[in-house]
Amino acid sequence: MHARAVLTVERGAGGRSVVRELRSQSPLSLVPRRGTAAAADPAVTVHMVGSASTPLAGDDVELDVRVGPGADLVLTGVAAAVALPGTDRPSSLALRFTLGEDASVQYLPEPTVVTARAHHHTLLHARLAPTSRLRAREVLVAGRAGEPSGRYRGTVRVEEHPTPHQSAVPVVPLLHQTQELGDPVLQESSAHLAARRVLGTEVLIWGADGVAVTGDWWSLSPLSRRGSLITAVAPDAVSTQRALAEAIAAHPGWAVGTRHDAVRALVF
Amino acid sequence: MSGDHTHEHGPTGQHGHGHLISFDPTASEPDHHAAPPTQGRALRIGIGGPVGSGKTALVAALARSLGERVRLAVVTNDIYTTEDADFLRRNAVLPPERVEAVQTGCCPHTAIRDDITANLDAIDTLEERFASRDGQSLELVLVESGGDNLTAVFSRGLVDAQIFVVDVAGGDKVPRKGGPGVTTADLLVINKTDLAPLVGADMDVMTGDARRIRGALPVITQSLVEDPSAGEVGAWVLDRLATRVAA
Amino acid sequence: MPGLASLVLADARFPGGGHVHSGGLEEAVSRGLVSDVASLEGFLRGRLRTAGLVAAAFAAASAAVSACRPSSGPSPSRPSSSCDGAAATRARFAELDAELEARTPSAAAREASRAQGRGTLRAVRAAWPSPVLDDLAAVHPRPHHPLLIGAACGVAGEPPGEAARCVAYLAVSGPASAAVRLLGLDPFAVNAVLVGLGPALETVVAEAVSAADGPPPDLPAPGAPVLDLMAQAHVDQHRGRLRLFAS
Repeated sequence: MHARAVLTVERGAGGRSVVRELRSQSPLSLVPRRGTAAAADPAVTVHMVGSASTPLAGDDVELDVRVGPGADLVLTGVAAAVALPGTDRPSSLALRFTLGEDASVQYLPEPTVVTARAHHHTLLHARLAPTSRLRAREVLVAGRAGEPSGRYRGTVRVEEHPTPHQSAVPVVPLLHQTQELGDPVLQESSAHLAARRVLGTEVLIWGADGVAVTGDWWSLSPLSRRGSLITAVAPDAVSTQRALAEAIAAHPGWAVGTRHDAVRALVF
Repeated sequence: MSGDHTHEHGPTGQHGHGHLISFDPTASEPDHHAAPPTQGRALRIGIGGPVGSGKTALVAALARSLGERVRLAVVTNDIYTTEDADFLRRNAVLPPERVEAVQTGCCPHTAIRDDITANLDAIDTLEERFASRDGQSLELVLVESGGDNLTAVFSRGLVDAQIFVVDVAGGDKVPRKGGPGVTTADLLVINKTDLAPLVGADMDVMTGDARRIRGALPVITQSLVEDPSAGEVGAWVLDRLATRVAA
Repeated sequence: MPGLASLVLADARFPGGGHVHSGGLEEAVSRGLVSDVASLEGFLRGRLRTAGLVAAAFAAASAAVSACRPSSGPSPSRPSSSCDGAAATRARFAELDAELEARTPSAAAREASRAQGRGTLRAVRAAWPSPVLDDLAAVHPRPHHPLLIGAACGVAGEPPGEAARCVAYLAVSGPASAAVRLLGLDPFAVNAVLVGLGPALETVVAEAVSAADGPPPDLPAPGAPVLDLMAQAHVDQHRGRLRLFAS
């Protein structure tokens, strides 16, 4: 199946972020969080349900997310995504984020399990303004327990775009990386996964970046221009997420930024 | 080989021209290489020699005795990389910003002779640091090689002059064995002379062999126990500096 | 056709400071991930297809930029009406530099690449002087190693594929040599492993050349997660401890 979805979030009256446009079609559903907790949160939280999290063969899903100046979005998946076996063509998921000035997106999907016969491609293309913030996590599991990994190829590209009054400034790539699963030579290589089953990465373009920090099997490294990348490998998803949490706690901009958000939550 | 060589070859079959480094320990040819231009940069002196002969102790002594008078910095090349640099910093011989440590990839002789890039980069780093910090350029950089064998010499692309350090405890036959370090270094230092009676080394044999092999090139015997300032070597270094300024 | 430049640049005796870099191998050894010829081969295959492919693609792209510069050598391999002067060449190098930085998320890996580029620049300037090198150095005084190798090959009139092959080979030959030095592996067995990588290397070269024909944002970007985190750990966790290689 082929689906195009659109999500637009803007900063509304009183500084709260609101969903301005939400169009999704089968096999993808977008469900905004509601209730009193959601009402107290200045950011909008939207859950991705359906094929975006459980892609099937041939599914081709595109989601365009626009977050206006000063607005904040948290985009999550509700269940562990499983890339299921395909027949002829691979399943694909393309996410395009466009962030205005002072806008932020936290993209926190559940782990993607690349089952043995899966063939899945993903793209995350984020266009940031010089002051926007992005946090994007990806946890990849190479096969269910006891089975080899299916084929997976996922690219993350984060770009900083000039504001309209900076027209002479070129687009600057902040991060461009492709991860591949499903090739035993790569997975066993101590240069790639060193026989670990789970790979976690988390991009943080979120205020101040400190010096590089490393744990045994994770690292938090500042990128060249702006932002940091956390990389972790582990035998299972739980350990991977624990390593990511440890690493993100070491990021100075994140610590300050989240305090700032908490204060805003109290004010509004 | 090209066919335009019409001159006679010597009895050994080698061309009579070109740079010939003799490994014959009885030969004592001066170095044929022209020193690179030194204007606008610090004088670079290499300090080489076998493991444990006292290179780091000599560098520390020179840093102490010359540090007040000369703007100097040190590059260390130990295979244990930071060990010597840490020694110099820990003993407060030199402030940390005056010591750079070079990794040699398990090949100390390669880093000072065949591929001098890492050492040149370290020297550049020191010179840039000083030029930008107080606007005054360095006058002297001591490049200490990692401990190696008797064939390890510094490239003339890296240093302007080199000191080769051997020690009495290494055996009194070391100078006789020769090798490019002993035969061609601008200064040979025979170190730890205070140990000679303890290890049964004959100083007369050592200095005699060294002088015979080296001809006109200088030899200094010293004990840092008896003279912690390495006065004679320090004087030789100052002379080198003065010669260059005059030139 | 392969020329002398890509052979010289790939030679282990090329004086560009490469011998002090292990490409992550030293850290892999210290973690027990590489301990014999078989585990070394696994490391090299993974490195070739990730870091090796990125480097090869950028070397090929850089060679194409370099060969396009009108004054860049005796026989530019691709003279065309789209070739430009210094400003345009600098802009194209700047775009490649930015795209390569974005594909090198590990700060330690970026530093290792620039350190090797800086070291290699000295030797390249002496051997293949060209304004193209000034254009590249104008983007950053310490150019990334693959961009410099590509530029040098282009100056020497070699096609992008030769630059890619040179860099892809260096991506594995350096760590292989480091393994021989660190683990005392049988050099014949290690050399045979390198030669056995031939088909995989040609695949990488073909992919690099084909990608270099397209726009820089589309150049390949395969990640090497463990290589990246080991590169940083090598710097962080070994500060002040035994470390024989710079990377």
